Amino acid sequence: MLKVIAACGSGMGSSQIIKMKIDKAFKSFGIDVSIHHCSVGEAKTQINNYDVVFCSAALESNFKSAKEKGKTVIPLRNVLSEAEIKEKIQSHIIDKQ
Amino acid sequence: MIKKILDKGRYCFHESFDSWEEAIRASVVPLVVEGIADVNYGEDIINAVKEYGPYIVIAPDVCIPHAKEGKNVSETAISFMKTEKPVQFSDNPEENANLFFVLASTDNEQHLENLMALVDLLDDPAKKDLLMAAKCPEDLRKLID
Repeated sequence: MLKVIAACGSGMGSSQIIKMKIDKAFKSFGIDVSIHHCSVGEAKTQINNYDVVFCSAALESNFKSAKEKGKTVIPLRNVLSEAEIKEKIQSHIIDKQ
Repeated sequence: MIKKILDKGRYCFHESFDSWEEAIRASVVPLVVEGIADVNYGEDIINAVKEYGPYIVIAPDVCIPHAKEGKNVSETAISFMKTEKPVQFSDNPEENANLFFVLASTDNEQHLENLMALVDLLDDPAKKDLLMAAKCPEDLRKLID
């Protein structure tokens, strides 16, 4: 199972919306995931327990060290866009398997 | 969700703001007036954006000002603000917003329901167009008729 974090500044708004949206997208690909939503601060300390981070594009720079550790970091320009989310799951996760 | 925003008077309409900070402060006013949010809630939101960047702009035109659950808020609620001119959060026009949905949360279950209703609303292009064109509360009523 793929372990995913959805992160935003406070862990209560955007990250929950990201979780709802990506959950739907992963299901449409038939990929088994568990998704935890939280704040950027928590995401950074928990990163070792997860494979993938989704966040707003504005937050991407917070996850430089996660990328260096080989984690997949997926920034979203439009958190509401199913098209963008699916395209990024395809390019960042499926195509790399 | 829009019905509740109208029934409770949780909305405001503005022409424009000189800064995104002023826009955030104005957006929380309906909740402050009702006693749901403390004026410091606006500052919490501003500080979070200063620390992390404008992550509250979740999609083109759409901003969801919010800060931590249960801090400086006493109820779970959404309020709405519309600006005629886009508010700029950065040099990137993709991070401009006209539609502000302020989120306050003390109860995660109710908050999740609010978020789902919000996502459903914004996923509907016709409804988003109505929001972008809205200039007064009567215009919001078109969304629930």
